[in-house]
This record gives sequence, C-alpha cells and structure tokens, in this order.
Amino acid sequence: MIAALIGRQTNTLNRRIIAPMRQEQGLEPDKEGYHMDTIVNDFSINIATANGTGSQSANLILLQTMADMGVNVSGKNLFPSNISGLPTWYIIRVSDAGYQAPGDRTHIQIMMNKATWEKDIEACEPGTLIIYNSDAKLPVERDDCLVFPVPMTKMARGLHPKLARMIANIVYVGVIAHLIDLDDAAILSALNKQFKGKAKAIDLNTQAVVLGREYAAENFGDERGKYRIEHREVDEDSFMIEGNEAVALGSIFGGMTTLAWYPITPSSSVAENVIAWLPKLRHNEDGESTCAVIQSEDELAAVGMIIGTGFAGGRGMTCTSGPGISLMYEFIGLSYFAEIPCVIWDVNRAGPSTGLPTRTQQGDLTMLYEASHGDTQFPVLIPGNMEECFEFGWRAFDIAERLQTLVFGFSDLDLGMNKWRCKGFEYPDEPLDRGKVIRTQEQLDAIENYGRYRDVDGDGICYRTLPGSGLDPILYRGTGRDEDGVYSEKADVYEKNMSRLKRKIDNSRTWLPQPILREEVEQEVGIIYYGSMENTIQEIDDILESTGMMVSQCRIRSLPLSPIAEKFVRDHETTIILEINRDGQMYGILRKELPIELVPRVHSVAYSDGLPPRAKLYAEKIMEVLRDIGATEEVLA
Amino acid sequence: MTIKLNVINLPKDDYQGGKSSLCAGCGHDQISSVVVNAAWENGLDPRNIAKMSGIGCSSKTPAYFLGQSHGFNTVHGRMPSVTTGAAMNNKDLTFIAVSGDGDSASIGIGQLIHAIRRNLDMVYILANNGVYGLTKGQYSATADIGSKKKKGAVNETQPIDLCALAVNLGCTFVARSFSGAKKQLTALMKAALSHKGFAFIDVISPCVSFNNNEESMRSYGYVKDNDVELHTVDYIPHFSPVEEIEVPAGAYRDIELHDGSIVRLETISEEHDPSDAVAALAALHGAEAAKKHVTGLLYFNADKPTAAEDQNLVSTPLVDLSDEQLRPPKEALDKINSGFLD
Repeated sequence: MIAALIGRQTNTLNRRIIAPMRQEQGLEPDKEGYHMDTIVNDFSINIATANGTGSQSANLILLQTMADMGVNVSGKNLFPSNISGLPTWYIIRVSDAGYQAPGDRTHIQIMMNKATWEKDIEACEPGTLIIYNSDAKLPVERDDCLVFPVPMTKMARGLHPKLARMIANIVYVGVIAHLIDLDDAAILSALNKQFKGKAKAIDLNTQAVVLGREYAAENFGDERGKYRIEHREVDEDSFMIEGNEAVALGSIFGGMTTLAWYPITPSSSVAENVIAWLPKLRHNEDGESTCAVIQSEDELAAVGMIIGTGFAGGRGMTCTSGPGISLMYEFIGLSYFAEIPCVIWDVNRAGPSTGLPTRTQQGDLTMLYEASHGDTQFPVLIPGNMEECFEFGWRAFDIAERLQTLVFGFSDLDLGMNKWRCKGFEYPDEPLDRGKVIRTQEQLDAIENYGRYRDVDGDGICYRTLPGSGLDPILYRGTGRDEDGVYSEKADVYEKNMSRLKRKIDNSRTWLPQPILREEVEQEVGIIYYGSMENTIQEIDDILESTGMMVSQCRIRSLPLSPIAEKFVRDHETTIILEINRDGQMYGILRKELPIELVPRVHSVAYSDGLPPRAKLYAEKIMEVLRDIGATEEVLA
Repeated sequence: MTIKLNVINLPKDDYQGGKSSLCAGCGHDQISSVVVNAAWENGLDPRNIAKMSGIGCSSKTPAYFLGQSHGFNTVHGRMPSVTTGAAMNNKDLTFIAVSGDGDSASIGIGQLIHAIRRNLDMVYILANNGVYGLTKGQYSATADIGSKKKKGAVNETQPIDLCALAVNLGCTFVARSFSGAKKQLTALMKAALSHKGFAFIDVISPCVSFNNNEESMRSYGYVKDNDVELHTVDYIPHFSPVEEIEVPAGAYRDIELHDGSIVRLETISEEHDPSDAVAALAALHGAEAAKKHVTGLLYFNADKPTAAEDQNLVSTPLVDLSDEQLRPPKEALDKINSGFLD
C-alpha cells in the first residue's frame, strides 16, 4: 500500500469563499469597516438549551435540513454528564469551504436556557443574531446585536400543553427557517427522518415549525440579518452519520462473532448500533444470530470475553473509553504475550480519571500503544473520517488475526458521537484474513517441527491450532513458555520470545493503514496530525496560508509508525506534531522512534480543553511555535 | 495385557496430563486425578474439552490432566469471562475449569457471580484450601474463623461460603466435596460433566504446606529447630495424599489432615431434595453452626437455559462459520448506503 498523494484540489475554491470569513475572524481586518453584505452558507449557530428537553431532535432536524439542501454542515453537541437539566450547547457550522470544526465565533445565538442566559449573551460578539425564548422573562440588552424575541413556550403550549417544553425547541427551528431561508421540503424530510415516519410526531412537530416560521415572518419580516442558506448541489451519494455507528457497521461486516461491552460514554453507541443492526445483517431466517452480544459485568470481563473468543478462534470486539482501558490493562498484556487476537475500540473522552466524560480528547494514545505492564506494543488504527471508521471497523479483525494480537481502534467523542458527512461505505475489497490457523492434520504435518511459538516463517508470526480441533493442543498461559508452549523461566528462551514479539509488530509498519500526505512542493514546514483533527486541518491550513505560510500535511492512520512518516519528517526542515492532548503524546512516540538526527526537527503543538479543536486556536499555536524556534521568517521569506 | 478402553475406545492414558509440580500430597493433585477418571469414564473426547483456570496453585492443575485438550491458564480470578467468550464461539466444547479460593472468593468473585447468573455451560471446580498457596500462606476469604497460620493473628473475619452464594444466585448445580473423598467427588464430577449449565463443585482441598492452624507449627517444628537458615516456607515436606475416605449418606466422619487437624465431613442425607434451594441453604447453615462441612449434591436445576442458548445463536459453532456467513453480502452494504440517503 503506497500513500496516496492527494493534491489540494479544493484550495482554489477555498480562497474565493473564505476571504470574507477571514475578515470576520479578524485575521484580515476589513479596511472598509463593517458591512452588511449577505453571508451565504458561511456562519455558525449556537443553540443553548438544557439537556433532557428534547432539544437534540430540533438540532438534528436543523442539521439534516441544511445537509439535505446540499450545504456543507457539521454539528457539535456539547452535552453534560447528566440526564436532565444541565446546560447543553449545540454548535452548527455551515461552510461552503467544507470546514467542519466549530467556528471561532457565533453568528446566530439561540437562547433557551435560563441557567446560562447571562453568560451566553455576554459571549455574543457585536452583530450576532440573538433568537430567544421571551417566555423565559429574562432580559436581552444588546443594542449592538439583532434580537428576536419569540414566545416559544406559549406557542408550544397552544399546540400541546403537556409536551410544551419539547415543542418549544421545534419552534426555534421554524424561526431560524425564516431568518436564514431554510427550504420547507427539506425541513419536512428531516422531520420524517428524525421521527422515523411516526405520523403523529411528524404532524405535531411540523405544526410547531410552521408556527415558528409564521411568527418570525409576521414580526420580523425582512429585518432578519445577513445570514442565508442557499441550495448547493446535493451529493446524492453522501449522508450524515456518527463515527460510532460507522464503527459498528464496519465490525459487523468484519465478521465479528462476539461483542462484549460495558456501558461507558462516549462508546456505548458503538455497541447499541451493533445491537440495532445485527438482526438485519447477521440473523438467519429463523432469527438465529452469527454474533453473540454480551453486556458484561465490567470492563475486565468484557476484555476477558473477547480474549476467550480469540482463543476459541472467533472474532471478538469490545468498545470502551479511557477508564475502561485502564481496567483492562492486565488482560491486554495477556493478549500480547499469549498472542490471542481481539479488537478494542477506544472512543476517547477527556481524562485523566473520570475527567470530562462528555468532552473529547486524544489523550489515550500512549496508553494504548504500550498498554499493560512490561514491554508491549500494539497496532493502533486511527480513523479520521466516517469511511475509515467503517473500514478500520472490519480491517481491525483481519489485522488482529494476522498478527495474533490485540488491535486497538482509536476514535474519540468528537468523531464518534457527532454526525459527519460520509461518501458511503466501501465494501471490503479483500476476503477475511484468518491468519496462520492450522485447521487440518495435513496442514500440521506440512510444518516441520511445529510449536505454537516457533517462528517457522521468520516473520515473527507463529502458527496456531484451535480448541476442539484435536490438533497439537496447547495450554495457553501468561507465564514464560518455550517455543512449544511449555512453561519455562529460562533467560534465553524469554529474551528470544520477547524479541520475536517485537519483530512481529514491527513488521506491520509497512502494511498497516499508511499515512495520507498532502504535500506542497518544496515546503519547509510539515504538520503531522491524526484522527479527528482531520476535520479541522483544512481550515488550519487555510488560516496559515492566509499569512503566507504554505505547509505540507501528513495524517498518521496507524501505529507503529510507518516509514512514510519518517520520510515526511526527513523531507521537511521543521515538522509540527499537532494533537488534541496536553503532553504531545504522538510527539513523544515520534521522538522515541525517529532516528536521532531527525528528532531536533520535530516540535509539539498539543492542546486540549475538552472541546473539539477550533482552527484559529491551533493555527495560532502553530505560528507561536514556529516563531519560537525562529522558523517563521524563514518560511515566510 | 489388554488395555481397558472407555465407550469411545480410548485408553485412560489419553486423559492424563503432565507431571504435577505441586507440593507432594497436595489435595489438588487428587482433584486432577478425579477429573481424569470422570472424563474417561464419561467417554468425553478429550479433543472436545477446553481446560480453563485463573492464577494460583489450583490454576496450575490443567497442565496435569487432559494433555490432549486445549486450555487457557488466564489471569487471576478472571477465568469465567474468558470461558464465557470461548463458550459463545464454540458451544460444542466441554469446559472444565479449576479455580482457587483466592481466585473465586476474592479477586474474581464478581466474575464467578456473573457466570452463574448467565448459567454458563461449564464445570467450575473450586479447589478450596483457605489459603493463598502460591504467595505463601496468606488467609483467603474462605478461611474459617479461628484458623491460625504459622505467623500472624487468628483469622477473625467471617468466611464466604461460595456454595451458599451459588445457591442464592440460582446456580443450576451446586455440590461440595473433599479431595480425599474420591468416590463421592468422582460421582459428582461425572454428574457435573453431564450437566448442561453452570456446575459448581466446591472441593475442600487441604494445603500441605500452609495449613492454617496452630498444629501446623508443630509439623514444621522439627525443620525449624534443626536448620535455622531454612525458611519453613521453602521446605516442602513429603506427605502422602490424604487417605481415601467414604462417608455414607446422612453420616459424618472426622478426617485427620497431615498436620493433625481435624475436618468433619458430613454427607447430605438421601432425604435431601436437591431441587429445594431452601433445604440446601438450611443444610449449609446447619453444618456451619455444627462446625461441619456438608458434602454431596446440594442443589440442582435442569430447566434453566444456558448463556449460549440465551443468545439464540445459529446451530453451527461460530468458529466454524464460513466467510460468507460472517460477512454480509455487498448488496446489504449497498442497501445501507442508499438507506441513509432516504
């Protein structure tokens, strides 16, 4: 597999569209001053609600409506670790440039939550459109903003007194629809999707939307600010989906035979989606399943179950987050040492400890790569988009069985629990790789001097037999053993085995998912990044470019590091490792694994506050580091 | 000389394992030999058995029986979860698991409970000696009140009776026996192997090296007095296995252990109704009050579905499914892709 060299096809387009936006960001102050030119498909909406009020439906309807109008849109749910009553914000970013990160400012603020009222108003920059529930009876004193009071609760009560709290949220969909020109047909289609064709719910909510729209038309008319949605060509083959559902589908197409899981935010929806999809995809006509699903008693049991699955010859997976991985550590080492295949998906949340359970981070990377006690190393697959969540979902099993080890999928809350555009999933282009499993006596006889841990092929990967086969049985163990699997504490036997294990994983560097490069000709600065940062990198790149700085990019998609990543560092005078954590975990891995002469060339830009990455913030940090090391002038020159 | 064969024409040798490295006279070795006999007499194909264990002296024993079976010596206390995963994927295997009281009553008690709750189809042998042998003699959570080990205080902490726990959890097969009661233990083992569901056998299996009462100090006294440099824990005296015993139903017998201590075994009377959970608990509590250990089949229920049955899996074991059965066809993915577009 050779890295795809992807050109910057989108850049010309970007330059045309992002210019006004940069002015808004203050990156290119508009010398002509504030203008009221209409801004089309390029703004952010922030919706402040309390969780448990049904606002998520309203927000998803807005998102889906815009998506169905062909507009590039992304939604971020900033929700609390709580069931009902705590503040929640939903950020919708509309961007013809294709940007998916939350923008650097809010253009339209919707106010539904009394608890955060004051702070939300305070945060509005001049010129912001403020739509608020006037039934909250709280003041909005901002002469520098356009304000839109709407008695949402009263209107909702008129429709359905009992459900007024929820319906009020749908009213703001109608108000927004008037202000930014949302298409009625698209709203109706989104309502249909959201309420899954349930006529009663669709009818009630449609009425609420109409009510909101009519109220806004009557009371605000053309005084509706400058932000508009315009139809774009709809990509007929793409849809919006959450990363966790994509992983779930991938694992089902990967021939998973056992899912063992313990509920934890933000990974639970991987399991819940598996459970939802299995009847359609893996049940026979009698309703019998080809995949077991066990909700385990804890994470220790979940990983034990998938190791038992691998021992028996099946394909086991669990999904969890950082705290779960911490609990699984002992078993993970057993998988490494006894060489039992299985797959763990870590949907990263902000740690350490319980941390911020509903916020995102890339803080688990090193704990996965060298998980458990003693010397270990694990393949880590790092998807950056929905297509890869699906692909790595199935591929993880092939890699685990080929390498006879535990493989990590590394996602995060942002990727896993927010909806992203997906161009459709590609069917696996290769058959299941079941690895070196001896299934017949003939196969066993063909191997001279068989031993479970004897490296007869010289690639570090040994052959194995399965329980029930009657072929050369082994008592698996986590203790030292010789090449035949017999208990041993001999120094040379232990050392030779550990070296083989290292070689086995090292050999995968060239065939695991390889980095994706976007290279500028003769550029001095390169950026290495990974995972969900993919959704922000284009915007970061454009911001840097607007200052005259052209940088190359390398997205790492797996560990251990590919030689392509090393070459990327070699080809650039300075390489920034960009990541969403405090300590620069990938940077640490690179420093350890790069040849010593390349180490001075790599620099860390690592930042995490729990929120999805904002382009401007990271771009500024990159420029700061480049300034500090004296690279900026050189680059700009 | 003709070699005696079982119903599937295999000699008993085909059921033997490797040489034990446990202390001479260890009760666990007797359990291993019972496993060999029971599996052979039941005519189980050793190739269709999987041996499972955790960590500890008892968990080493799968190396000493059924050498033709695959097995997994997993991590401390968490063998039930590994067995659960394996059982889902190959329901044709017979799982014989050995666990210690450190495994089962402490670090792994949660996994034991949940394996019982799911009615995992397996035989779970608890080799119960009240001490942590491999770490050299700390009390376990099954140690009786009043037990005293060589160093340290008398155990004052209430023990956990795992048989009572199992009955309360609705375990479908609960038995208690003694490693020296070979006849009873073999009969229970054979019944457990035939049971479809979770079969729990608590086997009182004395530790010859770390017997946890005052007398044990006397047993080692000679060594201590004669060689100051030799730690008692490093010295493994050679004992013969506990003499084979038989206790008739409804009767009790005092068994003298290597160190001179007495264990009073009672065999549950023939009137005991194993389908009556309350009677089983009454017998356990009665024996505890009388400082006896009641043995025999305490509780049995054949009607509960197993963990694998609950899953409603296809009849072929999951590990034997073809690629086509495991991966839905391309049309299914096309349909998903277009379904999201609607």
